[in-house]
Formats: sequence, structure tokens, C-alpha cells
Amino acid sequence: MILNTPSEAVLSNADSLMSVQGISKAFGDQRVLADISFDVISGEILGLIGPNGAGKTTLLECIAGLLPIDSGEVRWRGAPLSACQRKQLLFYVPEAISPYPDQRSAEVLRFFCEANRQPPKRLDELVAALRLEPALAKPLGALSKGYRRRLLLALGLLAPRPMLLMDEPFDGFDLRQTREVMSLLRDEALHGRTLALA
Amino acid sequence: MAAPLLSHRPIALQAPLLRKEIRELASGNALWVLMLLLSPLVGYSFIQAVALYAEASRPARAIPELARQLSSFDGILVPTLGGFYLAITLLFPFIAIRLVAAEKTSGGLKLLVQLPYRLTDLVTAKFVALMAAWLVALIPVLSALIGWVFLGGHLDIRETVTLLLGHMLYALLIGAISFLAAALTEGGATAAILALAVTLGSWVLDFAALDRGGVSSLLASLSLTSLLRPFEQGLLSIPAILAMLVATAGFLALTAIWLPPGTPLKRKLSGSALIIVVAAILIGGAAQANTVLDVTPDRRNSFPPADEHLLSRLREPLSVTVHMATSDPRLVDLDRKVLARLKRAMPRVTVQIADSGQATPLGTAGEADYGEIAMTYRARSATTRSTGAGEILPMLYELAGVSSPPPSTTGSDEPGYPLVADASSSAIWFYGIEPFAVAVAWWLAAGNRRIPWRRS
Repeated sequence: MILNTPSEAVLSNADSLMSVQGISKAFGDQRVLADISFDVISGEILGLIGPNGAGKTTLLECIAGLLPIDSGEVRWRGAPLSACQRKQLLFYVPEAISPYPDQRSAEVLRFFCEANRQPPKRLDELVAALRLEPALAKPLGALSKGYRRRLLLALGLLAPRPMLLMDEPFDGFDLRQTREVMSLLRDEALHGRTLALA
Repeated sequence: MAAPLLSHRPIALQAPLLRKEIRELASGNALWVLMLLLSPLVGYSFIQAVALYAEASRPARAIPELARQLSSFDGILVPTLGGFYLAITLLFPFIAIRLVAAEKTSGGLKLLVQLPYRLTDLVTAKFVALMAAWLVALIPVLSALIGWVFLGGHLDIRETVTLLLGHMLYALLIGAISFLAAALTEGGATAAILALAVTLGSWVLDFAALDRGGVSSLLASLSLTSLLRPFEQGLLSIPAILAMLVATAGFLALTAIWLPPGTPLKRKLSGSALIIVVAAILIGGAAQANTVLDVTPDRRNSFPPADEHLLSRLREPLSVTVHMATSDPRLVDLDRKVLARLKRAMPRVTVQIADSGQATPLGTAGEADYGEIAMTYRARSATTRSTGAGEILPMLYELAGVSSPPPSTTGSDEPGYPLVADASSSAIWFYGIEPFAVAVAWWLAAGNRRIPWRRS
């Protein structure tokens, strides 16, 4: 199921930003995605809802270009978007990963900030908004699930792409943290960033 | 804030990426384990080499002819680096594999490939970090060389640099193979098995070629160990350097193709085929480069200059047919002291080993022509059973119709470097101080570092 939540930005720009057309994907004999099509409007927060194993993660990875698709295509403002071009416009934040377990959070955040050519101020803002200060001195492998999830969100938000794809962005959060993160994501959407959450 | 980035070009290799790879290298265990093992291994090789060199030097102090045969390069450098070679062959792949496989298994690669870097930048940064690891691993070797000089030993800078260059190229090739193994497989353990199968398989090829000719010899010439051999003889082999560089670049290019998730298998296969074809052509071209420089101070891998000058003027094809088994030690002697030198000195030399010596259960030693060396030049042939240059060169000059150059009267200017020394006291350094320093560095790299959060 796909839920679209239009924000104020959507109202001012009703053109389709990204269009997924007829994506199919199979692993061997098992068909995971069958002819999936939908449109996303600029500034929209799109929700992908489905039971475990429905193929949400596979769909996001296919869109992000991290999995080859068997058929179908992704279009950006009406033009076909090759897998190479996708990393210039999309950033996918995976769910079940534990990257760089031996490196400290501060080092990893700083690397992603510098690699994306973002000012240090942007990193400071995200660290404050996601309440990551207590985790900065710890290696990623020593972080709790909630902190690791927040750090991954920060890495995604550091990527200055028009559209973010997030897999289980609220996994590991309590109610208060979920509300805070939702508020942060709404704020991103209000500033014109398009979000797809699974 | 989120402006369209279609015009955004991938950024070049940058300091942040390299810093991340260096941190990955330092925070892992593989480099430190290698260092802990390498120090005593190199130290043992060095102490043993010095002891054997001292044994050989004792009688040589009184006999100048014996002294001339003593070279620090063959007696100290090559054996000391033998321990280094062993560690690089067996342990260096683990460092390389970790640099690639850790991000694959942890999921970090999914984030990394989405950053605005080219895939070649990602692989290059990892490779530069690997080169840094090799430089760190060189510390025990350098300390052994310094120890040798401190004991009063002689080091020729050109020989030493040539040997270190060979070992560096060898390590980089091993690293590139390990990168590809990690890119092809899902786990580090499988990648290690694959990489070691290649490196240890090279040893098998080498051993197989000892007793068999034909295809075995051809395959052995492709082994990684054989690429290092010219450097261990004091030869700066341009074909070997080019072949190792091209092969390394080829393996890195294959890594860049197979590493990223999301590339269809068909595209990976077609890209790989293209790279293999291009690399094969380039390596084939490199093999044609017949430039091999003898960097030894006494030119012990070459004929006297007057002979080399004369041989370089013999432009017609020379065909040499050797009737010996490939396992015959006389053939090894002939190859090193005559045939290899002829190939370097003359533009067109073809050598054929006519008898493998292993073909029949009855052996070949009883065959009438066994041991003969036949040479054909300008449709004139001559045969000899001698394997020495003193007999073969005059025979060749006679076939070519030229006069032998006058024999060198001065002989080698190198006096030889006998040295009776005892390096056993350096055991404290190699078995104690250096491993302790490595352990401290490991502990510091693993944790307890204070990281300033805000930039000053």
C-alpha cells in the first residue's frame, strides 16, 4: 500500500518529481516485485506500507540503484533516470545495517559531512536535532539500536539530494523520539525535500 | 536546500575518503597482527643471514678471490626480505580483504556508493591505504637494513632500491588480487580462501616447473613468485615492472566493476571481458620490451662490456637448442650465466629446450645428444657440451665471423664485502622492543582516543 501525504510544498508544485513505472524484480524463481508503478510529487512524504516480506526494502533498493531491476524504469521529471544518475538525486538510508562498527560516530558523521560538501554547521544542527551528542565519542558498534538509527538518519539528511528513501526510519524509537523525528522530517519536506518512507 | 544535482560532477579522490580508509585500516586487527608476526620473522631471517654471512666471510678475509664472491645483496638483503615475502604472501591479503569486505558485510558499502565519488575513487582510496599499510609493514625490514649498516655492512643503494621496488610491486599485486576476491565474494573468509588459492597456487606452479618442462614451465612463468625473481638477482626488469603494474591496474578495474551493488550481471561480465582483453594485450606488449638493467655494482648478471657491445651488433637471429632436462642443474646454470645474458645483449635470440628429460621411464641421460647445446647463426651451426660463457661466446663469434674482444684485464672492480659480525643482540629489538611498540600502537588505535568534536 502506498500513502501520499501532501505537504504545503506539494500544493505549490503539483508536477510529478519521480515516477516509478512497471518495476519488477525476482530472486531466482521468487518474484518479489511485480509491475510496481507510482508517482511522487515534489515535497511529498510518501509512505510505503506492507507486511514483512512484502518487498518494501527491495523496492527502495531498486529505486536507489542498489539492486538491478528486471524490468521497468525510474523517471525523474519525465526523463528516464539511469542507475548512475540516481545517486545524484536520491539517497537511500537502509535499515538493517551496522556500518563502520570500529569507527567513532563523530568520525563517521564528519566523513559524510565532508564527502557531501556540507558545512560543519549543518552537521551540528543535525546532531542537536537528533540528540546525538552522547553517542559521538562511541564506536558505531557500541551504539544502541535507537542511536544507530538516529545516526543513519543523520547520514541520510547530510546528503543534499532532492529525495530521500528511508527504510524503517522509526524503528527502535520510543513515542517521543518518533514524534521528534517525524517533526524533523516534516521540516525537511517543508523545505522542498521529498521523502519516501517504508 | 535540496537543489537538483544533475550538473554535480563526481568529486575527485579527496582527503576525507582517504582518512576514512586509513581509520578503517588502523581500527582493524589485521595490520597489527601482521606487524606482530612480521617483526620476529624478519628479525630471525636477518640474524640467521648475518650469522651465515659471517661464516662465509671468515676464510674470505684472507683470500681476495673468495671475498669478491661475497655480496651483501645476496647474503643479507635477499634472505632478510625472504621472511618479509612470506608474510606478505600469507598475511597481506587479509589486510586488503578487510578494507573491502568489512563495508560489504556491515552494509556500509550501500551508503558509500551513494556518495558523490566515482567507483574508481573508492577503490583507489582503499588501494592507497593498502600502500600505506605496506610502508608500515616495511619498518622491520628497514630496521634490519639499518642494523646491517650499523654492524659495518655494505649496502648498494641501487640494488637495495631495486629489490624493495620488486617487493612493493609484488605486494600491490597481491593486494589487488585480494581486493577482487573480496569484491567477488560475500564474506571475508571466502575471499581469503580465494586470494590464498591464487598466491599459494603460484607456489605450486613454481614447484611443478622444477621437474617438468612444456606447459608447466609456461605456467610457472606466469606465477607471482617468478615476477619477483629478477629483482632478487639485481635486475631491473622493465617487462616485469610493466606486467605487474598492468596486472595490478587490471585487478583494481575488475574490483571497481564487481564491487558496487546494483550493476546487472551482464554488464559486469562484459566489462570484465573488456578489461581482461585489454590487460592481456598490454601485458603481451610489455613482454616485448627487452629492457633489463643490471643494477649490481659488479654487473654479475652481465657479460663484460666489450662482449655486450659486440653482441649488440649481431642483429641476425640466433637459435639455441639445449638438449637437457629442465630439472638438470646445468641448465639452470646455463640459463643464468649465458642464455639470460644473451637474450639481454642480443636483439633476436630464440632458445629451445629440446628434451624435457622426463618423457620416458628409462630417462634421457643415456641419449647421445643429451647435454649438447647447439647454436645456429647465419645458417651456420656449432655444438658444444660446455655450459660456460668462456666456451660458448667464442663459438658464437666464430659462427658470426667476428673476432672475440680482448679479455678484460681489470676484472671486477668490486672487492667484495666480507664481514664477520654478530647480529644476535638485535634480537632484543626484533623480538622485544618492536613488537611492544606495535602492541602499544594497536592499543592506541583501537580505542581511548580523545576526538575533538568541534573544529578549532
